[in-house]
Amino acid sequence: MGNATLPYTGTNGAVLRAAIVYLVTGFATFLAMGLLGFVMRLDHAGILVISADWFYRLMTLHGAGMIAAILLAALGGLCAVLSQRVRLSARALWIAFVAYMTGMGLVILATLLGRFAGGWTVLHPLPFEGRTWSLAAALAVYGGYLFTALGLLIVCVAVLRATTTAHGGLAGALALRYLVAPRSRPSTDLPHPAELIATVTAIDGVLASVAGLVYLVPLFAQAAGIVSAVDALFAKNFVLLFGHTMANLSIYVAAGIVYATLPHYTGRPWKTTWPVVFAWDLVIVLMLINYSHHLYQDFAQPLALQLLGQLGSYVVGLPSFIVTIVGALALIYGSGLRWSVPSILIVLGIWGWVFGGLGAVLDATLPVNQVMHNTMWVPAHFHTYYILGAAAFAWAYLYHLLADLSGVPDGRGSRLAAWLYGVGAAGFVVMFFVAGAHSVPRRYAVHLPEWQIFARVAVPFVGLLALALAWLAVDMLARLRPAWRRTGVTVV
Amino acid sequence: MNPRLVFWVLLALGAVWTTVWAFVLLRSRAGPAFEVIEPAENRLRLRLLFTFGLILLVTFALSLRAYPYSSFRTRALGAPADSVRVMAMQWGWSLSRDTVPARVPVAFVVESKDVNHGFAIYTPDGALLTQVQAMPGYTNRLIYRFDRTGTYTVRCLEYCGIFHHFMLTKFIVR
Repeated sequence: MGNATLPYTGTNGAVLRAAIVYLVTGFATFLAMGLLGFVMRLDHAGILVISADWFYRLMTLHGAGMIAAILLAALGGLCAVLSQRVRLSARALWIAFVAYMTGMGLVILATLLGRFAGGWTVLHPLPFEGRTWSLAAALAVYGGYLFTALGLLIVCVAVLRATTTAHGGLAGALALRYLVAPRSRPSTDLPHPAELIATVTAIDGVLASVAGLVYLVPLFAQAAGIVSAVDALFAKNFVLLFGHTMANLSIYVAAGIVYATLPHYTGRPWKTTWPVVFAWDLVIVLMLINYSHHLYQDFAQPLALQLLGQLGSYVVGLPSFIVTIVGALALIYGSGLRWSVPSILIVLGIWGWVFGGLGAVLDATLPVNQVMHNTMWVPAHFHTYYILGAAAFAWAYLYHLLADLSGVPDGRGSRLAAWLYGVGAAGFVVMFFVAGAHSVPRRYAVHLPEWQIFARVAVPFVGLLALALAWLAVDMLARLRPAWRRTGVTVV
Repeated sequence: MNPRLVFWVLLALGAVWTTVWAFVLLRSRAGPAFEVIEPAENRLRLRLLFTFGLILLVTFALSLRAYPYSSFRTRALGAPADSVRVMAMQWGWSLSRDTVPARVPVAFVVESKDVNHGFAIYTPDGALLTQVQAMPGYTNRLIYRFDRTGTYTVRCLEYCGIFHHFMLTKFIVR
């Protein structure tokens, strides 16, 4: 296991096929959920008015669906990368996929047919007190989350099994010996950064899924009448530990893909250096504690956790920026970067990850959070590092994989579409920030006339984003069949 | 804290970052060998770590003074001279009084009858001033001193069901 960039000839075909299904399903779901987001933004603009009932149902589905879709695509990309170097179980990936999709299906049914509109965060006890939906619909959503968490758990266990087997245990997969004594082992024995990141994110994925499963137990018990009520603060901590970590996982998993993909376009390897190992091993802990910045306004939360939330949210940005972002920029600088759809999406993703991160760090500062919490500033920052971060990285890899497998390179129009993706997405998210600065609340079906201007300016940018995505989707669809055929053979 | 100021801070930081990003992209044509760049990258990392670490540490220390929790606000503003009991419910607010005094600390004692709500106070010109969660089973105390008289709006900022956006009330500061 060396530090060379990852080629994907020699791929285990069965794993690669499962990975492509993850990526394509994630992309298709992203498009569908994006359409729901567009409808909500049109409603905010006063251009297309929908009922509050439908608005909140679509909002719930959009939130849950987007998180699931982007994570699924990112996991698919990482599994495709891993399949070059470690033995992943294709069967485990398919079982996880069935569980994950069952979960997504239940959420779709609950929102579209069961009228569930409790928000993707399902803040307890709202699902039990919805007034417009039944307990059965709430239980369908909980069941959906149960299956999704199970799916995530299965993928993470499969990844952990593969990386630890390849590197002689967890300590090897995390390069712990190298971390403690950098001169004791030659760097050629180290896991590739993508393998290291896969191990780190899989550990947190296991912990997040277990938190999700633990969280569901008392809720099912309440639904069955075994307990009378579940503590609201306990529930909030657990649902955010599960949900926020799941959302965070997307960006970190997607970053793992960048470590493997960017070298193809710069011609420079991304090495497993000591800072890379230190930063990513640290992420295991940091990713689990920063969720609590969502509870700053819950004054009942112990002060120590609030302080930890702010410090943790600050510190978690450092390894990402100083190691991954600076590392990526160093890889690009003077490299003779080959401009292509994947490399364009990656550089856009690098920009968005940092810009969204700046918005997040500001919001994680408690006095700022006092005037920004649950305003449009919150969707602003996570939409930025989703659309112009995790999702951009995942689509970059999907395009890269399909183009390489099919042997059909991109054209000038596709590269232009990739840049337009950036312009559309940036305009769209900046208007969220502007609305947040004007104290516009998030999760409001009806916007005051003076608030509508922000959505009205955003709408043309969303249109541009949709056009760019449609172009790239058609482009990828044309490459899908020949690419799929190539996965039927294993080329060593 | 003024939300508009936060936005300008973001824009300023974003402009610096965008300049760095664009500079690297403009210099992405073939240049010095990676072996030349690598040592400079490591030095840069260390400098960034110390610079950002220090900035964040100072920001953290300064932010403590403006924490919204009762003990911090009491220390900053003095003990509350008046209080208002607030009950949140789907989908309305019940305030024990509709006028509060200006220029003295007031404690809002916030509870919820049913689900989580967000008790958020907006200025007469529509800016978010301060907020606290209203949680079932918990009592949260929000202390604030109003320096301007006028009619303030209370909005719910925690999604609480399909009439969430209608959940507002007003009170007068005089």
